[in-house]
This record gives sequence, C-alpha cells and structure tokens, in this order.
Amino acid sequence: MSLPRANYDPRRVCLNPFPEFTLGKHRRTVGVYLAGALFALANWTFLDAAILSKHAHSPDYDPDWYPPVHVTFVDWIPGICSLLGLLVVNLIDKDRIRGEEGFGDSRAVWRARLFLFIGFALMAGGLAGSVTVLVLKYILKGYEQQYTYYGLANVSQNVALMLSAIVLWIAQSASGEYEYNLTL
Amino acid sequence: MAAGLKTVILLSFVLALGFLLIILSCALFANWLPILVALTFVTAPLPNALFAHCASDEFSSDPGVGGPVDLGRFITSIVVVTGFALPVVLAHAEVIKPAACAMSIAGGALVYGTILAYTNTFKQDEDDFE
Repeated sequence: MSLPRANYDPRRVCLNPFPEFTLGKHRRTVGVYLAGALFALANWTFLDAAILSKHAHSPDYDPDWYPPVHVTFVDWIPGICSLLGLLVVNLIDKDRIRGEEGFGDSRAVWRARLFLFIGFALMAGGLAGSVTVLVLKYILKGYEQQYTYYGLANVSQNVALMLSAIVLWIAQSASGEYEYNLTL
Repeated sequence: MAAGLKTVILLSFVLALGFLLIILSCALFANWLPILVALTFVTAPLPNALFAHCASDEFSSDPGVGGPVDLGRFITSIVVVTGFALPVVLAHAEVIKPAACAMSIAGGALVYGTILAYTNTFKQDEDDFE
C-alpha cells in the first residue's frame, strides 16, 4: 500500500522508513520479548545504582568517612521522562500516523503525529537529561569511579529504554501475516 | 503414555532441584531475600497464559497477532529478566553473598526451564484438542 517514491506525501513527518528486518515469521514475537528484556534491563541497571547508593557505608577502618554523593531524585527524572515517552510512543495507533486516505480525518492524523513527536521528545529529553546529570553531578565534581557509575548507569538506562521503544515499534509494525509496509 | 510419564517425573525432579537450590541459597546464609527469585519465576508464565486467551477469539487463524498478546509477552520478558537481575543486584549491593546469588540464579533457571519445557512438551495435546 506504500506510495511510489516519486510523489512524496508532504504530510509525512519523516521520509525514511524504518529498515525492514527479515527474521522470519517469529520476528514479532522475538522483537516483543527483546523489547521487554531491554526494558527490564534498563530499569534494573538504574535500580542497581540506586540500591548501591543506599547501601554505601563507611569502611571499617575509617568510621568518620561518608560517601560523598548519593542517588537522589534528580537521578530519577531522566528515567521517568524516558518511561513516559516510551508509553506515549507505543500507545499511538500506528495506522493513524501513516495517514492514508479515507482513514480518519486529517486532524486526527495531525494530532497523532503531535503525540508521537511529544513521545520522541520525551525520550530524547530523558537521554539528554541523563547525560547532563552524568556530566554535571558526577564527572565535573571529579568523584571516584564507583560514584561515576551512578551516572553511567543512568545513561545506560535511558539508552536501553530508547532501544526498547525502537525494537517494540519495529516488531509491532512488522506484522507476520499482514505485512505492514510502514512509512512513518 | 510411558514416555509422557517419564517426562513428567524427570521435570518434577528438575523442578524440585531448582527449588532446593533457591531455598538452600536462602537458608545457608540466613538471608531469605533470594526466595523472591522463586516467586518471580513462578509468576513469569502467568501474563502470557492470561493474555493468550484475549486474542484467540478474534484472530483464531493467526494467534500471534494482537496487542494483548504482545503486552503479555512484554510483561513475561520483564519478569524473566527481573528474576535474573534481582540476585545480581542484591549481590552487587552486598545484601546477599555471591554464592547465594549464583545458587539462586541457577535454581531460578532450572525452575523456569522446567516450566518452559513442560509447556512445550505438552503443547501437542492442546493442538489435538482444537
């Protein structure tokens, strides 16, 4: 059902379609499982840092020493943004975005694209925010490597959440039987 | 019949071994947090089983397609990864010992492997039923 390459639909947001993967007929299943695994891995990476920070204690030989930095609410914000973005992006009806003729009015397509944009902006904002936290809170202060790990875990959480959203999108748009030809 | 019986006995032994490992990992170190791993892996096939019935009415010819089924698989995957990640995180935070972590992961893998193997072995019966 895709249009020929020559007459581009000016209403399209992005002209490059997602790459077509051929994993066989199980690619939807595999993709969804992979997305869930990435999602859990992302959140556990950050929770690991949070739990580690909570359990950081003074060593036995120096009871007066305290850990210089802890995971606070600031570290949670990028992950929450990415999570909301993932929800928004994957809750959108993907047929709406393609904006085919005779399928809803153009206002609905416009709104769907606006929501998609907000979702991607939230995810990108989460990623950028995690890098910001890493640089401003950990690297610039010159903490040891075991505390910089908190920031690195934050960045990897957001990268994995974004990957999870992308994998889920590709998996769900590449249906086994109906062969959606997704042009975003 | 006999082959099915042997499979059931073998799988039940493996399941018992998995639970034994998990309970040992708790009891040997007097720290009962790894028992959560057993709960996690027992819960893992539940979302798949629940959501599989949601879409089978509409898409009886192609039961792999549908939002609810995907959601079930997503949640299942999350729960499985949680089961493996939980002991690692606990060991990293020095709440449990590394040995307890390894034992509970091995036990959890055995339990979940048993569940998967059981489902796959006896899937043909359901197909015959349909």
